[in-house]
Amino acid sequence: MDEFAENLRKEKFQVPVCTVCKAKSWPPSPFCQKCLSRTVFRKVKTEGILQEFATSFVRDHEGVFGIVDMDGIKIIGSFATDRLQKGMLVKMTKCGIKSGTPFYIFEPLR
Amino acid sequence: MRRVAIAASATSRFEKTTDKSIFELACEPCIDIIKNKEIGIDAVLLSTCSTEQYSSTIVAEMLGLRPKISHRIDNLCNSGTNAVASAYSMIAAGLCDSALVVGAEKSDSTGNRLVWDVTRGAFNFPVHWASMFAKAHMSKYGTTGKQMAAVSVKNRKNAARNKNALFQKPVSVEEVMSSKIIADPIKLLDCSRACDGSSALLLVSEQLARKFENPVWIKGIGQQTNSASFGKAAENLSSLDTASRAAKDAYLMAKTKPSEIDVAEVHDAFTILEIMAYEDLGFARKGKGGQYAESNKIAINPRGGILGCGHPIGATGVAQISEIAMQLSGKASERQVKGCKTGLVHNLAAAGSSATVVILGA
Ligand SMILES: [Zn+2]
Repeated sequence: MDEFAENLRKEKFQVPVCTVCKAKSWPPSPFCQKCLSRTVFRKVKTEGILQEFATSFVRDHEGVFGIVDMDGIKIIGSFATDRLQKGMLVKMTKCGIKSGTPFYIFEPLR
Repeated sequence: MRRVAIAASATSRFEKTTDKSIFELACEPCIDIIKNKEIGIDAVLLSTCSTEQYSSTIVAEMLGLRPKISHRIDNLCNSGTNAVASAYSMIAAGLCDSALVVGAEKSDSTGNRLVWDVTRGAFNFPVHWASMFAKAHMSKYGTTGKQMAAVSVKNRKNAARNKNALFQKPVSVEEVMSSKIIADPIKLLDCSRACDGSSALLLVSEQLARKFENPVWIKGIGQQTNSASFGKAAENLSSLDTASRAAKDAYLMAKTKPSEIDVAEVHDAFTILEIMAYEDLGFARKGKGGQYAESNKIAINPRGGILGCGHPIGATGVAQISEIAMQLSGKASERQVKGCKTGLVHNLAAAGSSATVVILGA
């Protein structure tokens, strides 16, 4: 199993960061997309801007979800509330893997 | 570079599901093309996201062919158009004179969901990214659910004239608007459906094209690949940069422009994608795609598009090109667009992370 998923399983959100130029590699890759050097997993900022959100009624995938930009890391997360606004600051409060699929839970920041 | 023509095409009936293997599905339209024809096949390219090993070569053997070149092309929903671009290149370069391009898919294809893409988290169905696009387009340009419904109504109406389409029954704006919400604002009838299906094309060199009646010429191809992940594709949620850049290249290569296009098949896996396609292809001004949906002048998706025909992903791009080739050669029978001379195909994969535009001429 890859390191990203292993970390997620322990509820840790870590992203590969370049050992040379420090760029983040997202989605996770052993190589930096800027300079092609090797990357190592590091904790990154999990606050970001909510770009867009909607509500899903797909079976077993229900709920409010949105795309968040965390300093260039764009990720779809779920929200417990629909009292959201585009452009608001949000934070990842939990992550993990359920039935083999990653999940990321966010909430708005005051 | 040598000119390349589409000499023949065939499409199977798209069905919810069948007992047929991917190989049987792939062979069916090919048999229609090669049976009783004295033509050597130099290349067999199979477009599919099905994971059977050595699948293109198995299809070639089942068809009794010994081509020079045989391999599979897998690029999600874009596979079929990518396969045609590859076959075009091989013929244009002189590597071969004829290529059979076949697209085939089963409804339960692994290609229906990109598991690798962890940027999508738990919301990893295509409808989830489609809803992000729809909401962004609505809030930025005022596009409405009713305008999206108009796309579905048009394509389902067209599909009712296509015996190979999965959906044979037209739907009304009211039916689309009152269908179940899948991911707000996308409703059930804004969505296409995965199914079993196959389609095939015979591409030939200019010299071989003389042996066929009304060959259709490939005039321009543009392809752009931005990423595989939604996280990277989502730089701009209200337009698809890959599609607009691919279109620009294709128009340039074909020495034509949007106003010259008479007929088009565009990627409408969700209604919002067809609205974005109008803008990305230059048929409508940026932000006016919704209005264009209610008043479009060009014949768009005459076979019923993906919404009406169903979406066997590896077959879709081939079936789109097959439709435009039939239209331009005057063989589209009851759905023939009168007097069409130039046609366009627009296809996408995975949230528009890659796009292909092909321009054909009679
Ligand atoms: Zn680097």
